[in-house]
Amino acid sequence: MMSKLNKTNIPFIYTSILYLAGLLLFLEWLYPVEEVTDTAFIGIFIIYAFFCFFISLLQVKWWLSFILKGFGIFFILNGLYSTNSFWSKLWIQEFYTDIIYNIESLLARQWFDLSNMFRSLLFLFIIWLMSYLIFYWFVQVKRVMVFSVLTFVYITLLDTFTVYNADWAILRTFIIAFLALGLANVLKEIQKENLQTYRLSAKPLWILPLIMIVLFSSMVGYAAPKLEPQWADPVPYLEGVFNGNGIGGNGVGTVQKVGYGENDSRLGGSFVQDYTPVFQAYMKEDSYFRVESKDYYTGKGWVNSDRGDYVEQANGDITFETFSPNIETEEQHVRLEFDGRAFIPKLIYPYGTKHVVPSNENASFMLDEQSGEIKTQVDDREIVLANYEISFDKPTYPIDLMRKSETPTELDNQYTRVPPSLPDRVGELAAEITSGYDNQYDKVRAIERYFSGNGFVYQISNVAVPSENQDYVDQFLFDTKVGYCDNFSTSMVVMLRTLDIPARWVKGFTSGEKVQDNVNEEGDNLYQVTNANAHSWVEVYFEGVGWVPFEPTQGFNVPNSYSVDTSEEDDVLDAPEVTPPAPEHPEIPEQEAADAFNPSDSSQTKLEFTKVHGIILGVVLLILVGLLIWKRHQLRIYLLERKMQKRKDAATYQDAYHYVLKLLKNKGFQKEPDQTLREYATRIDSWYGSDEMGRLTADYERLIYQNNLSTIVDDELSNLWKNLIKRILG
Amino acid sequence: MQETMVYNEKIGKVIENINKVMIGKEDVATLSLVALLAEGHVLLEDVPGVGKTMLVRTLAKSLDCDFKRIQFTPDLLPSDVTGVSIYNPKEMEFEFRGGPILGNIVLADEINRTSPKTQSALLEGMEEKSVTVDGRTIPLEKPFFVMATQNPIEYEGTYPLPEAQLDRFILKLTMGYPSLQDELEILERTSKEHPIETISPVMTKNELVLIQEEVRNVYIEKNVQQYIVNLVRETRNHDSIFLGVSPRGSIALMKAAKAYAYIKGRDFVLPDDVKYLAPFVLTHRIILTSEAKYDGKTARQIVEQVVKQTFVPIRKDF
Repeated sequence: MMSKLNKTNIPFIYTSILYLAGLLLFLEWLYPVEEVTDTAFIGIFIIYAFFCFFISLLQVKWWLSFILKGFGIFFILNGLYSTNSFWSKLWIQEFYTDIIYNIESLLARQWFDLSNMFRSLLFLFIIWLMSYLIFYWFVQVKRVMVFSVLTFVYITLLDTFTVYNADWAILRTFIIAFLALGLANVLKEIQKENLQTYRLSAKPLWILPLIMIVLFSSMVGYAAPKLEPQWADPVPYLEGVFNGNGIGGNGVGTVQKVGYGENDSRLGGSFVQDYTPVFQAYMKEDSYFRVESKDYYTGKGWVNSDRGDYVEQANGDITFETFSPNIETEEQHVRLEFDGRAFIPKLIYPYGTKHVVPSNENASFMLDEQSGEIKTQVDDREIVLANYEISFDKPTYPIDLMRKSETPTELDNQYTRVPPSLPDRVGELAAEITSGYDNQYDKVRAIERYFSGNGFVYQISNVAVPSENQDYVDQFLFDTKVGYCDNFSTSMVVMLRTLDIPARWVKGFTSGEKVQDNVNEEGDNLYQVTNANAHSWVEVYFEGVGWVPFEPTQGFNVPNSYSVDTSEEDDVLDAPEVTPPAPEHPEIPEQEAADAFNPSDSSQTKLEFTKVHGIILGVVLLILVGLLIWKRHQLRIYLLERKMQKRKDAATYQDAYHYVLKLLKNKGFQKEPDQTLREYATRIDSWYGSDEMGRLTADYERLIYQNNLSTIVDDELSNLWKNLIKRILG
Repeated sequence: MQETMVYNEKIGKVIENINKVMIGKEDVATLSLVALLAEGHVLLEDVPGVGKTMLVRTLAKSLDCDFKRIQFTPDLLPSDVTGVSIYNPKEMEFEFRGGPILGNIVLADEINRTSPKTQSALLEGMEEKSVTVDGRTIPLEKPFFVMATQNPIEYEGTYPLPEAQLDRFILKLTMGYPSLQDELEILERTSKEHPIETISPVMTKNELVLIQEEVRNVYIEKNVQQYIVNLVRETRNHDSIFLGVSPRGSIALMKAAKAYAYIKGRDFVLPDDVKYLAPFVLTHRIILTSEAKYDGKTARQIVEQVVKQTFVPIRKDF
C-alpha cells in the first residue's frame, strides 16, 4: 500500500531526460572500446544500447521487453556472424553449436578459444543489463553520483593507460553528469515534497540556471590554464616493472587469436597462437601458399583499392601469373586436404599454379586478377573444398636479370602510392638504407635485411595498435620496433614504395610443419598447416621477371629458388639461402613463429554488407517500434473502442474507464489512492472545464457499485469516452 | 430503482423543514436523518445553546411522531425513564404507566448528568428496542429514535458514558457555532415568532417505517463492503489507537452508508458515502493511546488519517 502511495508523479519527459543522460554516460564507456580493442562493430553496439535504453524507458511489460531485446541480440549476431538468413534453421543450428562449443571452452578455461560471436553475445548482454541498471539508478532511485564518478574514473584510467584520448570525453562526461545530478536532485525534491508537476512541465524555466551553471563552469574549466602533469607518465614505469622490455607508451592493445582473416584495415595488437589445423599438404619441398595480395595502404592497414571483377577459371586452369613465362621453372604437384574446422572459401595455392583438380567436380574458381584471390564456389555459393590437387611450375628467379631490371614504368602508381599522412622520416630511412646500392634488387635486399637487426624484435604479445593520429608503419619503425609479420611486411612494402619501387602486400600460409617424410610412392612429404601459420610477406615487381616474393619477417625464409649467373661477381646480398637472417628469438622456432594476419573470425566474409544492412534494418525496426509506441494511444483507443462496440459488456467498459485514468495519470493528474472516483472526476472536470469525466464516472460507478449489470455500453457512452480522451490527449 | 425509492422525496421535505428552523445546519440535519433511517440513535455533543434541542424538536415536529423529552438530572431514577406500575385502587391491580422512553422520538437531554443506572435504562431500550419494568418486557413502538445530547464542557457532577455504551449510538455529531451570516439570519428569523411554530408534519409514522424498510434494501456491492472492513481493520492496527472499532462499528457504518445513499437518491452505496460518514461513525468508537492523547491528537484526526490511508475500490471483478 505504501509503495503505491510513494509512486512519483514526475512527468515522463524529465524521467526521459535523466535516462538519456544515463545513456550518454554509458556510451562514454562504449566509445573507447573501439580504440582499445579490435572490435569493428562499435556502431552496432551503440545502436543496440540505444535500443535497449529506449525499450527500458517505455516501461513495457517485462516479457515484451525481454522478447524485443533478445530479438535484437539475435538479429545483430546473425547479421555479423552468419551468412544464413535470420529465419533459417541453419542459423539456429549454427548458433546452438557455437554456444555449446563456447560453454565447453569456458568449462575448460580456454578463454582465448571463445568465439567472436560468443564474445559479442556476452557484450550485448552486458549492454542489456546496463540498460536495466541505469534505469534503476537514474530513474527509480535517482542516484546519479556513483555512476558518474565511475565513468570519470574509467575514462581517466583509459586515457592514462591506453591509446584512448579522452580530452573530449571528459568534457562531455562532465557536462552530462552534472546536468543529470542537478536534474536528479530537483526530481528527488519534487518526489519528496509530493509537488504537483503539471505546471512545471509547461515552462521548465527552472532548468535554465542549472544548464547555465554547468555550461559556464565547463567553459571556465576548459579555458582555464592547467598545470603540467605533476607525475611522470606511469605507463613506461609500470611496463618496465612488469615486462622488463617496454614497448613504448602506446598501449598494448588487446589479445586476439591468430588466423587467416579478411579484414586487414586495422592492423596491430597482440594475439595468442592457435594451433587449430587448417590443411595438410602433400608435397616435395617447402613452399609458401599464396591467397591474395592487397595494394592500398591506409596508414592503419591494408585494403584493396579496387575489387576487380571475378573471372571464372575454366576447367581448373588458373590464368593468374605472378612471374614472367620466360623464367625457368620446375613442374611440381601438391595435394591439399582441409580440416573441417577451417573456413577459407578460397584457393590456397603455391607460386606458379597452373591447374587445379578439385575434389568436388562442380566446383568453380573465380579469380580476381588484381589480388590473385581465387574464390572456390559451387553454384555461386562460397564453399570450402575438402581437398584438391594443384600442379604448378615452381619458379627459379634469375638474380642477374633482377639486378639488371630497371624500376618499371609500365605499372601505374597503384603499387607505389603511400598515404599522404605517412611521415617523411619513413621515406628518409628507406633512402638512407638503400643509399649505397644502385639497382632495384640490391635496394630491396637491403631493406629486407634491415629488419633482421637494428633493434627489431619478433614478438606476438605486447604489440601496439596505432592511435588515431599515428601511422602503423611509422610506429613500428621508430617507436616500438616490436611486432610480427604484418609489421615487418607492411613496413617493407611501404618503405619500398617511398622509393617508387612497386611492391605489394601478400597474405597466405607458410608450409607449416613437416610431420612425415615420404608418405606416398611419389616421395611426398606431409606438412601440417595450422592457423598459426597464417602469414604475410612482400612481393616486389621486377621488369622482365614479374612479382618476386621477399621475406622481411625475422625467423622466416621464403623458400625461393634463385639462379645466379656465375659470371657476375659474387655478392653477399645475392642469395638469401646462403645468409639466412638468424632468428632473433630462438625460443620461437621457425615453423612455429607466428604470422598472424589481422586476427578475425573467418566467417566475416559478408561483413561489409551485413553491417550496413544491419544498421538499416535496426534503424527501421527502431522506427517501427518507436512509431508503435508513439501511436500506442491511438492503437489502444481503437482497440478498446472496437471491443466496446462489439462486446458492450461491463468488463470492457471497466478497461476503457481505467485507460482514461491511466492517460490522466500520464498527464500528471494522478488519482490518489484514498480519492474516490467522484472526487477525482470533480478535480478533472474543474481542470478541463467540462462535465465529461463526471458523467463518465457516474456511469462507471453504477457499473461497479450497483447490482445492476444492465448498464451496457451504448453509443452515447462510447462517444463520451472518445471525447474525453480527445480532450486529454488534445 | 424507482420502485424501491418511493418515499425518497419525503426526505427532501423533512430536510426543507429543518432548514426553515435551523439555519446553516443542513449537514447535521442530514446526518440526523441518516441515523433515523438507519434505525440508529444519535449522540449530539456540543456546548449549550447551539440548537441541539431545537434540531430534535424540529425533526420530531416534521414527522408525525410521538415526541418525548427527558431532562437528565443526577437524581433521575430508571423508572423515571421507563415508567412505573402504579396500584389502581379502582381496578384493584397494578397498572403500567409508561415513561418517556415509550415515545417515537426521544430527546435525552444532557445524558451524562444522570447516574449510570439511569443511563443504562435508556441504553437498554435503545439497543433492545424494548424496556423491562417489574419483570415485564414491553416492546417499544416503531419507529424508535433517540437523540441524546451531552455537554462536553462541564465535568463537575457528570457521569461520562463508558465506551461500551457510546457504541450504541450510530453517529456522534457536533453542532458547532453558526457563521456570522447564519447567526444574523437566526436573529432576523426569531425576532417575532419562532419558526418552529410555523412548520407542520410532512411524513407519517407509517411512511417513516416504510422508508426504513427501503433503506435496508439499498444495495451495497462487495467491493464497498470490503472498503468498510478495510477502514475498520485499519483502526485496529493504527499506532495511535489503543482500542479499534468493533464489528458493530462495521455494521453501523454500512447501515449509515445505506441511509445516506438513500437520502442522496441512490439505491446503491458509493465509497463516497462511506468515506463521508466514517468520521461520524468511527470517532466515538476508538480509544486513543495515552501517547497520542499527550501529543494532542484527537480521535477525529486519527480517523481522518485512517481514511487517508485506505484505498478506495475502483474495480469490480466481473
